[in-house]
Amino acid sequence: MISAADYAVELHGISKRYGDFTAVKALDLAVPKGSIYGFLGPNGAGKTTTIRMILDIVKPTSGSLTVLGAPSAMDVRERIGYLPEEKGLYKKMKAWAVIAYFARLKGVDAKTAKSTARELLERYGLSDFADKKVETLSKGMGQKVQVLASIAHKPEFVILDEPFSGLDPSNQQVMEDVIQDLNRTGTTIVFSTHVMSHAERICDRILLIAKAEKIFDGTIDQAKALIPKVVQVSGINDAAQLAAIPGVKSISAEGGMPGSFSVQMAEHADPQQLLRDCFQHGIELTSFQYHEPNLHDVFLHLVGDDAKVASFR
Amino acid sequence: MNNSLHIAGREYAENARTKGFWVNLLMFPVILFLSIKVPQILEEKAKPARHFVMVDQTGQFDVVVDRALERHYQMAVMKKLLEYQKKYAKPGLNDQGPDQAELLEKMPAQNMGINPSDPASGMLEMLAEQNPELLDTLAQPGGLDMFINMLASTLVEDPPMFEAPRQMLIRDEIPAGALDGIDVEHADPKEIVRALKPYLLDEKPLADTDEPLFALVIIPQGAENQIKGPGRLPKNPLECADEGVQFWSTNLTDTDLSRLVENAINKEVQRREYVRHHLDPDEIEKVQRTTMQFASFDPKKAEGEEIVSMADTIRKWAPIGFVYLLWVAIFTVVNMLLNNTVEEKSNRIIEVLLSSATPWEIMCGKLIGIAGVGLTMMVGWILSLLAVLKFMAGPEVEWAGTLFDVIQSSGLLPLFALYFLFGYLTYAGLFLAIGSLCNTVKEAQNFMGTATVILMVPLFTMVFIAQDPHGSLATFLTWVPLYTPFVMMNRAAADPPMFDLIGTGILMVLTSILMLWLSSRIFRLGVLRTGQPPKFLELVRSITTSFKEQ
Ligand SMILES: Nc1ncnc2c1ncn2[C@@H]1O[C@H](COP(=O)(O)OP(=O)(O)OP(=O)(O)O)[C@@H](O)[C@H]1O
Ligand SMILES: [Mg+2]
Repeated sequence: MISAADYAVELHGISKRYGDFTAVKALDLAVPKGSIYGFLGPNGAGKTTTIRMILDIVKPTSGSLTVLGAPSAMDVRERIGYLPEEKGLYKKMKAWAVIAYFARLKGVDAKTAKSTARELLERYGLSDFADKKVETLSKGMGQKVQVLASIAHKPEFVILDEPFSGLDPSNQQVMEDVIQDLNRTGTTIVFSTHVMSHAERICDRILLIAKAEKIFDGTIDQAKALIPKVVQVSGINDAAQLAAIPGVKSISAEGGMPGSFSVQMAEHADPQQLLRDCFQHGIELTSFQYHEPNLHDVFLHLVGDDAKVASFR
Repeated sequence: MNNSLHIAGREYAENARTKGFWVNLLMFPVILFLSIKVPQILEEKAKPARHFVMVDQTGQFDVVVDRALERHYQMAVMKKLLEYQKKYAKPGLNDQGPDQAELLEKMPAQNMGINPSDPASGMLEMLAEQNPELLDTLAQPGGLDMFINMLASTLVEDPPMFEAPRQMLIRDEIPAGALDGIDVEHADPKEIVRALKPYLLDEKPLADTDEPLFALVIIPQGAENQIKGPGRLPKNPLECADEGVQFWSTNLTDTDLSRLVENAINKEVQRREYVRHHLDPDEIEKVQRTTMQFASFDPKKAEGEEIVSMADTIRKWAPIGFVYLLWVAIFTVVNMLLNNTVEEKSNRIIEVLLSSATPWEIMCGKLIGIAGVGLTMMVGWILSLLAVLKFMAGPEVEWAGTLFDVIQSSGLLPLFALYFLFGYLTYAGLFLAIGSLCNTVKEAQNFMGTATVILMVPLFTMVFIAQDPHGSLATFLTWVPLYTPFVMMNRAAADPPMFDLIGTGILMVLTSILMLWLSSRIFRLGVLRTGQPPKFLELVRSITTSFKEQ
């Protein structure tokens, strides 16, 4: 039995309209405490709008929400950290001072803010830049500083809007580490991204939205289960025999090569079982290939066509 | 509230650390100092002595001009002597007398003659006018020493030697050979001018000095008959301008000499008229020095102190300076506010701020922080103003001391602080709203372009309002909320009616509250907006809807 107290965020039928245009439509969502939740979706899907509504930066047109048990994020803002989509910092301030300043706004006392700022910069490889002005940092470094600024007050709930954009591969790794480090200490994390591999690696659950509407919400495994498993086999003499095996939904000839087929599996069928069944039925195979579908496939499968339409709206 | 203070602290630190802020802060005293000191130095050291020659074909006036020159120099000596006495007076001696401020409060303001910025020389002129004997004594051989000996007992031990001032107006002999072959007594003045022109144009040097010939004065034959007066206009004065005294000079801005010559000659002409009418010029002169005590009184002042004093005159003009300071201060700081807001918006820092603090807190924080910057600047300015005035307030720059005393005692400073506060709040509200609607500094500046014209009004009108503080222009502008603080500051010294004082007080409070309220609405809507600034109607609509939402 999961009670309301176990969710960091609950959205109940939340909508946002800008004039006639609906940016988010009747969205329901529950983010369990301690989870890492990925918001995925094509450009213009409504991810940022949802995040802003969670933070009470924009007011929902209809629907209700709770954040850490409160009706508005403003009431619990000291327990929340936020990295906005468009990154920017005070250019004339020193890196450590920016981090300390935002921590202070979240109620951290001056001394702790200062020491935490330096500690974080050190931990994530920026100690050389601690006393540099923000305007002298590169975009990626500035972004790292901003991420640190959003977590310096040790929030229990962190929202990061596209934390990976603009980072080089090794810093993307650092960013993943930051998220996982935070999660290890019990922090709930929501982040949005367009890079499926990050989501796949670190998310417990994902929310997929397109054109303002929720398409999918659940664990990574559940998401993957949404698309049929496909096995490539070759060396088949009798296609009918293959089709008769339980768990096989349909088969189709693989282009060009005689005896090569794509096998679409039934929803809960196990590819391993298919291999065993082939063996039992004396079907000889020259090759058997099974690729676990990844999130990228899921994304394209679910929103592929929509995404193109949305991006040219 | 805590958040507001953090935000305020950051705004303050960021703006107080900019170069512009310090330049602003330091420029003011430096400019003030230089604008007092430079003319003084120029006057004392750099202004060249004026050499001139005079050809008096009538032979009647060169004596009077010489005497006037002598007088002029004695006045300069006397002035310097007074400064010398003040500068090296035994400490404590001057304190016993009524102090400057008190004296000024008592001294009747003059309708003319005394320039409020330089009362010392004005007074000296009056003194000389009324006691020519004093100057005569000074002119006698040993006269100066006698004066110095007289002063000696009032001075500190071993004062530096008194240095007599330079002679600024010098009548030279006609350069040797310049008028050879010309019958100076009877020649056509044109001929004399032609002969001396090279000297005037600095083509030929004078013999005993590097200075060029500054002027040539010619009093042609028969000039003594070219006298204008009631009932005496012998010829068309336009046609015979060259029949009277001719003053030739390439420099027409320095009128010291021409005025001196003109006055001396006219005085002599008048003296002759008296004689012609069988009047005794000496008696007349005595009579002319007879005046009745005259003073202006102000019925609004406390009983017994109604006299309109020198201090009042200064007080009347001092607000102009304050209006200017107020204007500069307010617009300097609200511009900072505008720029910071636009920066936060264009950087999208505002979004992080909004996740940490309410729009209201952010606004308050910015207002407080920038107000702090403004206050620092003002306090800096006023302290440095007072310091510079105090420092400069020697006998040479008497008005500086006067101004210092008047500013201290006039009660203008608290009013200034009050009007700064309300002016700031009103304009800060306005600029914050503008800032929150603009995405780039450039956009904000476009907005500002139009605004500036409207905002300049208090500067354009400040002199008129000081002259006529209860006139219809002043009264009208007083009740235009955007101008109230400036105009009331402008009128502050003229004891505006109680109704205006209290009425505008209430008006300013209401205006600033309304402005802040409106701008908090606009700020909330504006900061998150991107794209074109909204149209006016759209703005009004969104304000009203946001009002309904709450
Ligand atoms: N202030 C606004 N006024 C009008 N429309 C808006 C506003 N903010 C967002 N929208 C619209 O709402 C839709 C969703 O925008 P949102 O920023 O939430 O998308 P997103 O999922 O974050 O996209 P991206 O991946 O590109 O960041 C977009 O079509 C956008 O044009
Ligand atoms: Mg987005």
